[in-house]
Amino acid sequence: MKFSTPIIAACFVFSGLSLSAAEKKSASAKPDKGELLFSLKVKPLMKDKCFACHGEDPEKIKGELNLLTLEDTLKGGETFGEEVLIPGKAKESMLYLTSIREEPDFEMPPKEADMLSEEQTGVIRDWINAGAPWPDDSRVAWVQENYAEGVIVKTSGGLSEDWTGRRYKKEDLWAYQPLKKPVLPAGTKKEQHPVDAFIDAGLKKIELKPAPRATPRELIRRATYDLTGLPPNPSEIEAFLTAYKKDPKKTWSSLIDRLLASPHYGEQWGQHWLDVVRYADSSGFANDYERPNTWRYRDYVIRSFNDDKPYDQFIREQIAGDEIDGSNPEMLIATGFLRMGPWEHTGMSVAKITRQQFLDDITDSVGQVFLAHALQCARCHDHKFDPIPTRDYYAMQACFSTTQFGDREAAWIPGENLAGMDGDKRYHQLRSDTNEAMLKKIQLKLAKNQQRWFDERNLPYKTRKEALKAKAPKKDIPSNRLGFTPNDFGRERIGRKHQNRFKWEFDRYQPIAFSVYSGKTINPKGFQYGRANMPGNPMGKGSLEKTSILGGGSVFSPTIPVDPGVISATPGSEKANIPKQYQGRRKALADWIATPENVLTSRVIANRIWANHFGQGIAGNPNNFGATGKKPTHPELLDWLAVNFSNNKWSFKKFHRLIMTSETYQRSSSYPDPESLKKLDPAHSSFASFIPRRLSAEELRDAMLACSGELNPVLGGIPARPDMNLEAALQPRMIMGTFAPAYVPHPKPEQRNRRSVYTHKTRGQRDPFLDTFNKPGSETSCEMRATSTVTPQVFALFNGEESYDRSLALADKVMKEKLTREKSIARIFQLCFGRNPNPEEQSSCQNHWDELEKMQNASKPEPRIFPTEVIRQAPEENTGENFTFTEILHTYKDYIPDLQPHQVDARTRGLADLCLILFNSNEFVYLY
Amino acid sequence: MKPPFSSHNNSHLNRRDFLYGLNASIGAVALNALLSENLGAAGVKPIGAHFPKAKAKHCIFLMMEGGPSHIDTFDPKPRLQDLHLKEFQRNDEMVSAMASGKRYYVKSPFEFQKAGKSGADMNVLWEQLADVADDLCFYRGCQVDSVNHPTAMYQANTGNRFGGDPAIGSWVNYGLGSENQDLPGFIVLPELAHPQGGPANWANGYLPADFQGTPLRPEGSPILDLKPPAGVTTSRQRKNLDLLNVLNTKHAEAHPEHEELKARMTSYELAFRMQMQVPGILDIDKEPQKIRDLYGVDKEPTNSFGRKCLLARKLVEKGVRFVQLYAGTWDSHDYIEKAHGSLIPAVDRPIAALIKDLKERGLLDDTLIVWMGEFGRTPDNGVRGGDTRYGRDHNPKAMTVWMAGGGVKAGHTIGATDEIGGEAVDGVHHIRDFHITLLKLLGLDDNKLTFYHAGRFKQLSQFGGTPIDELIA
Repeated sequence: MKFSTPIIAACFVFSGLSLSAAEKKSASAKPDKGELLFSLKVKPLMKDKCFACHGEDPEKIKGELNLLTLEDTLKGGETFGEEVLIPGKAKESMLYLTSIREEPDFEMPPKEADMLSEEQTGVIRDWINAGAPWPDDSRVAWVQENYAEGVIVKTSGGLSEDWTGRRYKKEDLWAYQPLKKPVLPAGTKKEQHPVDAFIDAGLKKIELKPAPRATPRELIRRATYDLTGLPPNPSEIEAFLTAYKKDPKKTWSSLIDRLLASPHYGEQWGQHWLDVVRYADSSGFANDYERPNTWRYRDYVIRSFNDDKPYDQFIREQIAGDEIDGSNPEMLIATGFLRMGPWEHTGMSVAKITRQQFLDDITDSVGQVFLAHALQCARCHDHKFDPIPTRDYYAMQACFSTTQFGDREAAWIPGENLAGMDGDKRYHQLRSDTNEAMLKKIQLKLAKNQQRWFDERNLPYKTRKEALKAKAPKKDIPSNRLGFTPNDFGRERIGRKHQNRFKWEFDRYQPIAFSVYSGKTINPKGFQYGRANMPGNPMGKGSLEKTSILGGGSVFSPTIPVDPGVISATPGSEKANIPKQYQGRRKALADWIATPENVLTSRVIANRIWANHFGQGIAGNPNNFGATGKKPTHPELLDWLAVNFSNNKWSFKKFHRLIMTSETYQRSSSYPDPESLKKLDPAHSSFASFIPRRLSAEELRDAMLACSGELNPVLGGIPARPDMNLEAALQPRMIMGTFAPAYVPHPKPEQRNRRSVYTHKTRGQRDPFLDTFNKPGSETSCEMRATSTVTPQVFALFNGEESYDRSLALADKVMKEKLTREKSIARIFQLCFGRNPNPEEQSSCQNHWDELEKMQNASKPEPRIFPTEVIRQAPEENTGENFTFTEILHTYKDYIPDLQPHQVDARTRGLADLCLILFNSNEFVYLY
Repeated sequence: MKPPFSSHNNSHLNRRDFLYGLNASIGAVALNALLSENLGAAGVKPIGAHFPKAKAKHCIFLMMEGGPSHIDTFDPKPRLQDLHLKEFQRNDEMVSAMASGKRYYVKSPFEFQKAGKSGADMNVLWEQLADVADDLCFYRGCQVDSVNHPTAMYQANTGNRFGGDPAIGSWVNYGLGSENQDLPGFIVLPELAHPQGGPANWANGYLPADFQGTPLRPEGSPILDLKPPAGVTTSRQRKNLDLLNVLNTKHAEAHPEHEELKARMTSYELAFRMQMQVPGILDIDKEPQKIRDLYGVDKEPTNSFGRKCLLARKLVEKGVRFVQLYAGTWDSHDYIEKAHGSLIPAVDRPIAALIKDLKERGLLDDTLIVWMGEFGRTPDNGVRGGDTRYGRDHNPKAMTVWMAGGGVKAGHTIGATDEIGGEAVDGVHHIRDFHITLLKLLGLDDNKLTFYHAGRFKQLSQFGGTPIDELIA
């Protein structure tokens, strides 16, 4: 190619058009500004955003406007003619005006999601104003090769050369940069905490002073909730305050040690992890079957945090525990992670699709959880923003293509909490027996009907079975629903469905792990309604899956075969050596993820921990480190922390200690000069002060239980069933073809009043209290809790029985301490707020109590009545007529309620209202 | 790419959430006070209609859970008379586990009528609906992806088969805002039993929690814990609330930097008012007898759905943006004659009454009514135990949906299924296009009704699509 010849442009000489654009240039002449803009920015942008409808496919050209060449562009289209492009005059050119969306009904590109950024439209403007030069393809290629900004990332390659050779902004690739420990900022003092050194350097840049240190009272409350999810008790606070006066540093340090050693630490930080992996005790979707053994994974997570299990090991166990040591129960339990997503296979499902949905789920899940990459974006095409070719997506997926569901035998582990199992099993047995009895009754009736039927016809058979066995003609075989009433139909159906579920649920008491194995893929029919048994020979029956890139993500359109692999854009990816044989793929994948050289892994986890301590990450989207996620506000700090984390044997506890001993963590949430803060750091990304947060749903419930003294602090075990709003608990709920069994709480208070992390999590029936306080659903991974303030929260906390029960128990506890009026109120303040009331509060609370007591004297509370059965009524599917079904709630027959109003005197009830007010107060629900 | 505003996960942005909370829930006075403050660039105000000429301002979405059979309701297939009990072969890739074993064509057990001037096809059991046939726009070209109830329900309600995304009612409120500050903008009237997939069918997904559908329970407390526990009088609660305010005020003084406190305090006052007012708003027993008779209230089989339809009309009148009603279950695998035969009369009068009543009040023009299930049903069925048990299985490839009211092409039937009702063949669109059409009728452009979440602009249709303009007048 000899010349770049914008001859066409020369044919249209407009006033103001720079002639230089029309001059012939040698192919290697230095490009001018317009040429540069066109080659590097405008052309690729048009290709990306315009050509699909305006040129590429002559059949699909919209509005008769073709933008492929200068000639066509200058010609214009149906709506706009020559005004599409007026070289030199951007503000008159529709190409620009539509791109800034100032032309009503012609905002381009039409999809809001494709909207051009200001930077992009600016490029179009500048190019037009520079005379709109339009060099040909070869010149464009040459300019790109020699002048392009941005970085080409080496990957395994996209589906097109354009994608493979595309350039990325350097800042969008921050997460792929080699990870080395940055030096501390210049001027860091010797005694300065490294975290503070980075944070304060940032503050200095925006000329903002850090907030002073929080008060010791705030500090102990902050740290205790942060590490254990529970409030500090009054004696802990007193001891801390006294010691803090003498030696703040040492006292703070030993507080952190004490809290990290508390078993409640694992519950709190385990919960953060369970949010990310979408923990639930049921499978979701149509049947929402119980997953009887997932609780062992939940306890595994809690145990791992309490044991300060190194994170690299934690990763390996969850991804490949079975391949690492299939004889170790702990390893099998850990792989429950791989099956945490919702899953179903029903009579209507197509096996291949079911399988592909699992593979897509786990590929994306591993990407988000460990690597902060939503890999699903690369399921149907090369990633739009990140250097993830669709080939990598399927290479990662191939790591799981031999992964199979296995509910495997795994002996109880010392320390696993097996208490309460026998009792729970007894009620389950009762429930199951009642159901069997109902079915039997219907069967007996059917047998009678059939016998009568045979008798009426003078047939020699007694049962349908007999007739079938004797190969009787069709007309001589009665229906196996003969004489069914709508009730029979409905109840038989419920009975059958429940029989199935109940049988499976006995697995809860068996040493089984919700786990996986590697081998051939078998039809999911075998485990759609029950335990997934691992075949004796995992390579026996079934097919060995071969992974291909799926066209449009459809399992029915396999294209190019791929081998197991990893994200090729990450440095060192070539070292990941994923075997092609059926075993060991996950182990090799886990090894690649869990190496300190993996630039994503340690950054991702360091950011997650930081985010949970401060309520906001250094990188603002802990599940998305790609181009579209928020960029880190303190990238060097994040790198420093990431390296420090892996250098310290991936120890969580050391990491918490490091963060919490910084001044940054200990800063007050009150900023002395709020106006400056607002002005200089509107997004609160400087960490100049601590960001207050509302207690999470679980913290709120657990804190009330802790204050009232009802909390049973025991660790682990089968899911606890606390009281749920009774209307919600007995709310009929459809599962496939019938009603789900009712939610029934455990009979004893100590079984119910467990920490919220242990409560039974049914995907299709969420606890309304936790739900309204933003406990996330378990369909998708939750990177950070949301907090919103909505009126149903008021109904739950101010009107609900849960908070009233806690208030009454707290009042009763304090009354039993037989303190003076004054001291009783002080005691409640200490328990709830960790401080004494001031005189004003003291007197208004005292007056309130007196008044309430008077009101209470006039009322006579009745004992609450609990249901021992619930009646379901619905149109029966087969007949359309109504049927009823009575479900016996066995547990309620032995139910011991929490303390009730009629059991205490008016004075206690009056005090309970005061406790309720404190539980509802902002001071209780916010953490500073 | 820079998001125009951040995801709402960060605590410092919560303020926006409550402004919305109030907006979407209750309390005009306090709300106005709060709204008069400058929201700033990060605030999410209602986006406003993209198509200001669109007629529909409200939507009543009649969700026929379980999948009504198009073949037995609005899409007669005489060809099945000839094929009845002949063996049916299915050989596409979607062969499901249920397709194993022999299957047979099944004719519809119902008679059909040509209703209205437009001659709309209707099962003769639609006695009342036939009166308003010319107000309806039938669409037979819709297809969905899923053969299972919850995933198909999620897709019909949220656009996403796997759930977790905002429901269409949430999107509409996010787009148009609420007209009534005393009621939520998105109200759901479920059956006593929650549908498969549960409350995720009306969840706000990644939109702020204030756009969540509020289910009004048909029995017991309409909203959970709307009333304080038994024995708690209004005066006692007022006293408690007063002391709470004293403590909270003191606390707020000590934390001037913490803007959330004020909003949370306000939410208590609003809730207190709501618990006094909502029961009255929901009371349909005071409606005139004539109206109650029109809807079939207190008569069987229409009482249950009649109450819902009447309440829906009242809610729309009060300015509620989006009301979704559930009726079910239409999952008639067997005995379709009995099952559909009793389901249709249970909703026929109430739906016809709703259309007539809205028309009477001049509200039909700005109310969009949608009738649909999560999928249609198959022309075939396994023969199970004798001649009387015919039913139909799930069919994602063919269904009938209809619309009435605001801006729809009334009196037309658009699209067609093949001669046995197995698959849509004319005017075929994926359900995402139907969603886009619903939004367009409500003045909203799916491509502009987006929310930035987890690094991407998300929309109801997931990835965009085309409105079905044939359905729009």
